[in-house]
Amino acid sequence: MTEQKTNGLATAAKYYRDYGSRARELKAAGKKIIGYLSALGPVEIMTAAGVVPFRLKGNASEAITQGDAYMETIVCPVVRNIFEQALRGNYEFLEGMVLPHQCDSIDRTDDVWADTLNLPYWHYLNVPHVTDDPSIEFMKQILRLLVASLEKLTGKKITDDDIAQAVKVHNENRQLMRNLYELRKSDPPLISGAEMMQVLVACMSLPVDESSALIKSVTEEVKARPAPTGPKGPRVMIIGDQIDGLGLIEAIEGSGAKLVMDDLSLGSKMYWNDVDVTPDPIQGIAERYLRKLKLPTTYVGDGDTYQENLEARFGHMTRYIKDFNVNGAILFIYKYCDPYGFDVPPMKSFIESSGTPVLYIEDEYSAASLARVKTRVEAFLEMIA
Amino acid sequence: MAEEKKSSRSLATKAAASIPKIVRANLAATIKAKEEGKKVAYAYIMDSQDEIMRAFDIVPGWGESFAGVCAAKRDAEKYLQKAEAENFSRSLCTYATCTIGFDMCREELGGQMPEGAPWGGMGKPDMIIGSAQQLCDPRFKWPQATKHYYNDVPVFVGNAYYPQFNRNVNHHEEEPMYVKYMRDELMELVRFCEKHTGKKIDWDRLSELVDLTERTWDMFYDAYDLRKAIPTPMDTGDAMNTMVPVTFNLATQEAYDFYKNLYDELQEKIKNKQGVAKDEKYRIVWGAGLPSWFALGDFQYFNDRGAVFPVEVTYRNLEKIEHLDLPQTNDPLERIAWRWVRYYSHWFDAARKRPGSTPKVERVIEYLEDYKCDGVVYHSAFSCRSWHAGIIHQAQVLKKVYGDIPILIMEGDIVDISSYNEAETHNRIDAFIEALAAHKSKKN
Ligand code: SF4
Ligand code: SF4
Repeated sequence: MTEQKTNGLATAAKYYRDYGSRARELKAAGKKIIGYLSALGPVEIMTAAGVVPFRLKGNASEAITQGDAYMETIVCPVVRNIFEQALRGNYEFLEGMVLPHQCDSIDRTDDVWADTLNLPYWHYLNVPHVTDDPSIEFMKQILRLLVASLEKLTGKKITDDDIAQAVKVHNENRQLMRNLYELRKSDPPLISGAEMMQVLVACMSLPVDESSALIKSVTEEVKARPAPTGPKGPRVMIIGDQIDGLGLIEAIEGSGAKLVMDDLSLGSKMYWNDVDVTPDPIQGIAERYLRKLKLPTTYVGDGDTYQENLEARFGHMTRYIKDFNVNGAILFIYKYCDPYGFDVPPMKSFIESSGTPVLYIEDEYSAASLARVKTRVEAFLEMIA
Repeated sequence: MAEEKKSSRSLATKAAASIPKIVRANLAATIKAKEEGKKVAYAYIMDSQDEIMRAFDIVPGWGESFAGVCAAKRDAEKYLQKAEAENFSRSLCTYATCTIGFDMCREELGGQMPEGAPWGGMGKPDMIIGSAQQLCDPRFKWPQATKHYYNDVPVFVGNAYYPQFNRNVNHHEEEPMYVKYMRDELMELVRFCEKHTGKKIDWDRLSELVDLTERTWDMFYDAYDLRKAIPTPMDTGDAMNTMVPVTFNLATQEAYDFYKNLYDELQEKIKNKQGVAKDEKYRIVWGAGLPSWFALGDFQYFNDRGAVFPVEVTYRNLEKIEHLDLPQTNDPLERIAWRWVRYYSHWFDAARKRPGSTPKVERVIEYLEDYKCDGVVYHSAFSCRSWHAGIIHQAQVLKKVYGDIPILIMEGDIVDISSYNEAETHNRIDAFIEALAAHKSKKN
């Protein structure tokens, strides 16, 4: 922790490189590590239970060699790759997993994960896809089931006070991350997209207090170092689900652009919306994950007109574009992803109608296609320069 | 479903042969509705919403049926390309992209029916009724994407969930909260329909339609049960047609009558010892997967080699009502909710009893035993994760908990013909039939 105070970026880089190393230490110290997938993992409840929430990531440099024997290749590539990592034993420290119902690729492979990994603890969180009042009530019940199953795992009661306290620390954590994002607003940004990716990835592998300490330390370090000089380059935002590696980011920044903002499931989607403090803390959590978090897997029907509906679904993206002074957006969507895939035409036209050019790329989760992606990114950057 | 004579498949039952007429009539109804002052809703199968739509006299326009027709006529490519040109990926559900492509063509023509639309095309919807249920993501993404082209058409999306199987959890304790949630969501649909049809719900009529639906499930079940006979009087090749009424005409008298007629026809065939194959040698369960609509002739290929499918999981989306042990209630919405939740969950207990098993595997085991089958065929369609992700695991669990039986996993798509290679498919079928022969002789 002292190390983080003085050298946050190096620590983030280390945790990015050796993903899970801190969880391994914590496990050795007697902590229970619970893995989860997607931005729908209710970290507040896991923290309240005294376990360490650990978001699983893939590794785009590694081809799938074992997973295809268990999981179809029509499952979305990021889920397949993460499964591969788990299968190879890279997450051997996990006590169990919470699998939130984000999409078919997760829902339909729940039993594949559970039976193949065979961990002591397994919980499927059946998150609804709609946001009306009955859905909030249902979501609260679903979250209460998670509370009960974690109580069984730890043998310890989770009180509403524990949950309220966890909400508080996670909200603080989100605020700290938003403060760090602020440093991307200057031109050129004070922190590069590659550095930011390492921080985001590192944070999803840490207990919330350590994550907060790391963000603070990075923020101080970045503020203290001399501002970058050199050519400014076009300012780019990236939109997608779990992009958790440096490959694409380096392809963008290596072409002279600056990645200044994201709408990714491990980036702003995780950090932009706080949980409201409500008398029943579960209420606030249910509302955040269903109504505030903007994921294409949650159906949003709001708005009297279609334009208003688009605004409700994608308006945050154009706000980011304005606030972070973005010149171009890259929609990076995984093949076989129905939730994001069906959103491409409306999302693209909505952003373009605000005057910002969009590059849409559909790809695998693999370093093998990076050269091709880089060529397309370069052509796009030339166009918007 | 809806197959044209292009394939060489000869339909074994008169019932199956009558299906194209029903499919055409369903499509025509969406076009005639305007003249009759009825509302058309784009709708999606198995969404538990049939009785409510019918109670409001809403005419459903089924994209899954229309896309199936396009595929069977090998005429989907123009719509798939249209959608692709608008950045709908080729890896998305092709029922959805085919229908969206068709909708886009119509919008470009200012609402005119595109020329050459298979079987006259589908009428423009007055509303879209989707469901964000566990069945698949396109069930709510497809309506949402369609609205991008029909900006003024109102869309409803409700939820209809059931408990997820977990060996360590007693799902019976969770069922009531799922039923309550589904009931609340069905009530939301009632309100939506009232608003957009200008009619009030007639609860008595809805209750009658729920009765009718339950009777139809039972009649379907009883008719299909007759396929246990040896030789089987009907196989999956036919069932891919005879599924039409229960899937697209549920909660109508026609659907019930259809299965009553099928029941009578199958009894007659059994009396006359008329089987699907000339010499029935192998009986196979169609374990999962939507078929390649453009290649239904492959069922004939099996039949010609003495292999028949007396039973399938696909499009048998129901169960005998008495097997579901439904709680008594007079509330029609709650009855619908219990029926669907239990349809999914009623294999859970069996799965919990057999270590390592899963509900889907239990269902296949039940069919293997009750229908005296020797092996299982799965079809994995690349554009649909819902039915096709998890098939490898199913096959593995089946072998583990039940023993080493011949299993074939075929790969292809429902609509996109570019994925299909006939010679390769036939080679794989030949090899599978050899495996069945070897397995049988080992057993005897
Ligand atoms: S990328 Fe799409 S399919 Fe994959 S996990 Fe995310 S939402 Fe699901
Ligand atoms: S179940 Fe599969 S084929 Fe049917 S609509 Fe959903 S994704 Fe498409």
